[in-house]
Amino acid sequence: MKRATLAHLANRALASKKIILLAIIAMLAACSGDDGTSGNPGEPGGPPASEINALNIAINEVLFEAGIATVNYRITNESDEPVVGIPSATYLAAQLLPQGFTNAGNASEWQYFTSESCSSSCDGEFVDHKNGQYSYTFSAAFDGLNDIAFMPGATQRVVIKVGGDALPDGTDLPVTNQHYDWQDNGSAPAYTRNLIEMQTCNTCHNDLAFHGSKYNEVETCVTCHNADKVSNPDNVFAPMVHSKHLTGFPVSLADCQTCHVADETLTENMNWARVPTMAACGSCHTNIDFPSGQGHPAQVDNSNCVACHNPDWTMSAHSQADTDAVLGQFNVEVVSAKLNGDAVDFSVRLSNPATNEVYSDSADKLDFIDDLRVYANFGISVDYTTRSAKSIKLQDVEPISGSNGIYHYQIAGLTLSDDPATDKGSLALQGKLCSNDAMLANCADSDVTTTIKSSYQFFSATEVTEQGRRMVVSNETCGSCHGDQQLNYHGSRNDLEQQCQLCHNPNMQADASAVNPAASTADYKHLAHTLHAGSRESYPDINYPGNIGNCAQCHTTDDTGVLTVALPLSPTVQPLAFNDGSFTSATSAICSACHLSDSAKAHMTQQGGVFNGTEADATAGTESCATCHGQGASADVLKVHPIK
Amino acid sequence: MFASQRNINTQLTLLALAIGTSISPAYAQGYGIQNANRDKANTEKWECKRCTVNSGFSGSVGVGAAYNDADDIHFGNTAGTDKDGVVGHLDADLVNKAESGYQTSFVADKLGYDTGTATLETGRPGHYNITLGYRGLAHYDTNDALSPYVNNGDNQSLPSNWQTGAITSQMPTLLEDVRNLELKTERERFLLGGDYLGSFYRAEVNYQHEKRQGKRAFSGNILTNSAMLAQPIDDTTDEFGAKIYFNGKGWLIGVDSSFSQYKNDHDAISWQNAFTPTFGAAYSGQSAVSPDNKAYRIGANAQLSGNGHQVLMHLGVASFTQDDAFLPATINGLSPALPTTSLDGKVDTTEMKLKYNGRIVRGLSVRASYDYSDRDNKTTLNPYPQVITDSYYAGTAINPEYDRTKQQAKLAAKYRINRAIYLNAGYQYDHNDYSDLDRDSLKQNSVFAKVNYSITSSWSAWLKAEFSDRSGSTYKAVTTTNSQSNPYLRKSYLADRERQKYQLSINFNPESALSASANVHVSSDDYDDTLVGLTQVDTQGYDISANYLLSDDLSINAYLNQDWRDSDQAGSSNFGLPNWFVNTDEKSTVIGAGVDYLHLLDKKLDLGLDYTYSDGQSDTEITQGLTSPYGDYFAKRHNINAFAQYHLNEKMALRFDWIFENYQDSDWLNQGTSVDTIPNVLTFGDLSHDYSAHYVGLTFSYQL
Repeated sequence: MKRATLAHLANRALASKKIILLAIIAMLAACSGDDGTSGNPGEPGGPPASEINALNIAINEVLFEAGIATVNYRITNESDEPVVGIPSATYLAAQLLPQGFTNAGNASEWQYFTSESCSSSCDGEFVDHKNGQYSYTFSAAFDGLNDIAFMPGATQRVVIKVGGDALPDGTDLPVTNQHYDWQDNGSAPAYTRNLIEMQTCNTCHNDLAFHGSKYNEVETCVTCHNADKVSNPDNVFAPMVHSKHLTGFPVSLADCQTCHVADETLTENMNWARVPTMAACGSCHTNIDFPSGQGHPAQVDNSNCVACHNPDWTMSAHSQADTDAVLGQFNVEVVSAKLNGDAVDFSVRLSNPATNEVYSDSADKLDFIDDLRVYANFGISVDYTTRSAKSIKLQDVEPISGSNGIYHYQIAGLTLSDDPATDKGSLALQGKLCSNDAMLANCADSDVTTTIKSSYQFFSATEVTEQGRRMVVSNETCGSCHGDQQLNYHGSRNDLEQQCQLCHNPNMQADASAVNPAASTADYKHLAHTLHAGSRESYPDINYPGNIGNCAQCHTTDDTGVLTVALPLSPTVQPLAFNDGSFTSATSAICSACHLSDSAKAHMTQQGGVFNGTEADATAGTESCATCHGQGASADVLKVHPIK
Repeated sequence: MFASQRNINTQLTLLALAIGTSISPAYAQGYGIQNANRDKANTEKWECKRCTVNSGFSGSVGVGAAYNDADDIHFGNTAGTDKDGVVGHLDADLVNKAESGYQTSFVADKLGYDTGTATLETGRPGHYNITLGYRGLAHYDTNDALSPYVNNGDNQSLPSNWQTGAITSQMPTLLEDVRNLELKTERERFLLGGDYLGSFYRAEVNYQHEKRQGKRAFSGNILTNSAMLAQPIDDTTDEFGAKIYFNGKGWLIGVDSSFSQYKNDHDAISWQNAFTPTFGAAYSGQSAVSPDNKAYRIGANAQLSGNGHQVLMHLGVASFTQDDAFLPATINGLSPALPTTSLDGKVDTTEMKLKYNGRIVRGLSVRASYDYSDRDNKTTLNPYPQVITDSYYAGTAINPEYDRTKQQAKLAAKYRINRAIYLNAGYQYDHNDYSDLDRDSLKQNSVFAKVNYSITSSWSAWLKAEFSDRSGSTYKAVTTTNSQSNPYLRKSYLADRERQKYQLSINFNPESALSASANVHVSSDDYDDTLVGLTQVDTQGYDISANYLLSDDLSINAYLNQDWRDSDQAGSSNFGLPNWFVNTDEKSTVIGAGVDYLHLLDKKLDLGLDYTYSDGQSDTEITQGLTSPYGDYFAKRHNINAFAQYHLNEKMALRFDWIFENYQDSDWLNQGTSVDTIPNVLTFGDLSHDYSAHYVGLTFSYQL
């Protein structure tokens, strides 16, 4: 039930906020509904399932008689209780040709045989053994179906899809796909095409499902998205999936292993490097026409690819290894910092972790540093003060003093918060290094630069500190789609965890005339929410790949393990400022970024939310959201959002 | 060498035999003639009283003419010449003996054919001899290879109006430009030798010059494209050898040495790229050919024997050098600098053998031996730039040494149970050390046992069983290769292996007209630690032969031989555990029968007829769930060789020869292909053979 609703939600073309809200309400209603009636007593296989949150389909065997396949399977719920009376199912059958079989260099290929369905009537013969066991016999021999010859010894696949409807007693059945690979001679399949786990797709996409949410496993997709089924070659699985990710991909496309994750349990997971083909490579390298020799010397087939593009070459060409090696030769850290009037005095140490040696020269003397900047903001108690102090570029300024690897600098002109003695600030670092392949290089000799991972250091009026601004999102959570600090803004800023917030702070103002004010401010929380929801005019092409309601995709947990979206908000969260001098209270401003209907606003206003009021009203603490939506309350935001 | 025409004469024969056996280390099993107790023999009495020496000219000469059907030159391997139509030849077997014992002989066979031989020998047999010889050797492959290339010296060039194509089918003039080429090799050997036999020593010198000419297939690769080229062969090999041996009672000692020099008239093979270059300006390719090189070898041998014990020692050192100038790393664009101008390659080998044979007690003899051989590559190691097939620079590689040390120890005993049965059993240990291979060392333990049984005076049989177990140091895949090895791969020559081999032989050899023998052998090689690679090889085979003398003038013989070999190999398409498997079944059959009927028509006519049929085939099947067989790979031959010789009178004879051959072979690698079948390989086309050819010859001979 839950899966079905979420899968429906994932159909992001329809994901207007209104529908999300309705869906959430619908879900709550359903959860308080009927538990379902008991199954027929006395049947073998244990008592039938009384509650169904998930379906498990265990395919026991495929019997093959006179070329006609019968698949025997068992369906249970999450507690391994048999599920009886499944009202409908779809059965797909396909055959896999091994790598190199169709021609030297060709990848293994699926060949679609057939798709048969059973509901009120059946294409083949369906038997519900009333104990959780089911049998389905296909209507005809595979051989010749879809003009494909059945090949003895080849790896065969059967996919069963059930769910999306309900048992006769009304219990909803979640959509479930299960595949089974077999071979007609009875032994285990001699070869597979196990490249990728659906889980990998779902790290960004959450519950990906297609064709009316019926199909949600990659093993299902490939049985139909092959050259023998789809009429348009662009819809063959590999080129289709590659080209669909070409635009808007949240991380470098060159890293094939974002999707082709190394996984020893998948025997073919290194195919991306080992089986280069014109179709697979050409779907990203779209400027190449292999047969005509455009963009690459002419190739008539895949037989030669691997002669030049051997696995080592391909891995190296798509590898982050050089970048990692360069970054491994440089580390920058702030070793001391303290306030000095409205300035911050700090010292920096540069070192080479690869050799464990400190760079004894200051940054302006090191020829491989292209850029190394430090920013400062003080006033963590108010989520930072307005941006004020100018950053300094360590490669251009001489340190005030220092020697032997530790050098002292100053950033002046900070805007301080009300009580600096008890408050804290942050120093953020960013930069680029000149490199040549895997080594640091003199910038005079190399045009290639490698961006370092931005970092930050909290400090108080007197010293550097561990603790500072709360962490709401982490580089790790952002990295689940964007890669580990791979998303760079303003050149080389990639610390999404603490750096951006120094400038993208609550002093940023929203447009008072905007329909969705949150989509008009550059304050980090509102910027991030509306960017991912696709509601900012300047980023019209953003297609959020997952379920926007799953806050945990981006939000991290606090020290106590509670997701940082829990209410009440931290008292340091400031109201949303507008360019007409008005303010919207903090919680309302955040919620209304997505829940922006008039009724939602009315609900918030009724419960003490302030929209476009005075700063005093917006900060008076009248919001009572946490009463119902607070952590542990009846409508806890952690529960009402589809958080996974 | 050239010991064929020596008269058996006096005690020197034994010495010659002794020397012969010490030079060729084919020691008999303790009861050989070199173990004979000669101390009390009165060798004076062994002189052949009936071997009367006929002085003057004797022998025969013959001239022949034949019609040879050489539409397919492959028939030349049987006929001895690839000349189509009428061919002539000269045969001779002449000897001139003087009363003094001085003797000169001239023997020629099929002189005039590519495979003719001639030998002129003069001297006093048993004292000294000077030999002058000639021998032609030829191998004919095909005259049906198709290529658009024209060879001129080191260059292979295309017609001036050649238009390149990305693939063979896009080369517009290819089909008009191809011509037929012959692939064959002819060798001519000239020999000069002399030997001198003193009272307690023997000295021998010989010189051989071999000139080789012809063409062979060469693959000219440029990146992923390749053209098959007919590479010209024009080279010479000169070999000079000298030996001296001294002997006395119970001892023999000697030194032999040789020097050889190889010279290639070609410095390189370079070819125009028939394909549109994949990268930049790869318009031609160049490859090195066999470099000029030299080899020196010197060896010392010693043998001591007495009282039924014998010790043999051998020590040999050799040195192989080559210092041909390097070609540039590439001829397309700027070549990266080479570390030296020539390899200055030097490989030294050392060889040592120590053997003991002895009779311990009556009926029991033992033999023990230790062999050591070492290959030491003394070439300087350098980083050489790698320009892959004249196309792109791919870093440097250091020349591997491939040093090797082999040691072998054997211990065996032979025990005679009774007059009819004796046992022979032994143990052998082999230890090899390598450099630059996936394993540093290999060791093998082997045992064998053999029983010989003389069942009756006519029937005898023996049965032999052998077992060996090979293992070695940790297998670490070499990292010097361009592409990584699968971690589960075990190369067959370095893999752990268990080998079993059984042989049974039965002989029927009565003092009657019929004699026959039969042998059966089976073996099994189990590569018991190999997951990927060759995993199992099984062989079986038998042969039967019989000979029947129907009368003094009429004999028939027949033989049948069949062998099977079944090999299993496992591979992996995903660089992991095996997921595809190959089975190769090889089978060979040889059947022959012959009849000789002499002295017909009042002793005027001799007839002979031989028929052989041979059939070799190899069937390979690859299985990865689906099973797909490779194509044909076989060779079949029917051969009839018949002659009739008619003696016109006491001096003159006319001989008629008829050779018929029906031959077919095919290899799926090129079966049914034309020059443009494979997109990225310009091939010679289908090189299979299918012909029936005749050779009909008439030879007139005159008896002097």
